[in-house]
Amino acid sequence: MEHEELDGFERELKQALERRPAPPSLKRRVMERRAQRRQPQSMIWMRLAATLLIVAILGGGLRWGLQQREERRQGEEARRQVMTALRITGHALNQVSTKLAAHDRAGE
Amino acid sequence: MALDWQPDFERLLDEHQSMVFSLALRMTGDRGLAEEIAQDVFLELDGHMGRMKSPEHARFWLRQVAMSRSTDALRRRKVRGMDLWVELEDGHAARAEERPSPVGARLEHLLTTLPETQRAALILRYQEDMLPDEIAAALDAPVATVKSHLQRGLKLLRAKATNHLREFIRGA
Repeated sequence: MEHEELDGFERELKQALERRPAPPSLKRRVMERRAQRRQPQSMIWMRLAATLLIVAILGGGLRWGLQQREERRQGEEARRQVMTALRITGHALNQVSTKLAAHDRAGE
Repeated sequence: MALDWQPDFERLLDEHQSMVFSLALRMTGDRGLAEEIAQDVFLELDGHMGRMKSPEHARFWLRQVAMSRSTDALRRRKVRGMDLWVELEDGHAARAEERPSPVGARLEHLLTTLPETQRAALILRYQEDMLPDEIAAALDAPVATVKSHLQRGLKLLRAKATNHLREFIRGA
């Protein structure tokens, strides 16, 4: 069939079946629908980026808060240790003072 | 050349919109439906741009998908081509400069009355100037089947034309 000459009827059919121009609106509509389909994808990325940013801020804030609490706890602990040391030192000084006073009295 | 080829969606749209629209129009006989099908085909192409290997591959893909989507649309609507063609002529008429000759219009009309498989083969053969093996690849059918569709379709169309276009046959 591929090597056969077209007869009059086939030639007429071929002529009748020439491509028709697409409507002028076709390209515009395709491009509009294509842009609409791509928009939600960019929105998804923007939402994901915003969510990640919020999570990062909240995570940073939480970490900062925990760090502050740990620093406060360590400060409190250091203060308690200093107070204990001062108490021990005061107690020792009192004992020395008492012994010295007793020694002085014995010497007199 | 094909190795260097980068598919450009807008360029493919410009080059092939007439082909895709005409295939859908000849298969469905409905300008509105054909435009919808053509839009869907190009949007599908947009999703497959990365897979297009060459201009020939893109053209083959567009033909194949246009025919397939047109067939799907016809099955969904369950409307015979003849009825659709009446709608085309009555309601969605082409612009004056696009209208074929009266004989051509009658042949297009008669084509829509053929069975779908024969119509598809004839459209690809005479609109797209494709060979039977190319048509077979596009329609995913054996070459022998396509040749049979072409022969039977042409014979049926000729018989219908003989009845409807006696003036044309006498003049030929």
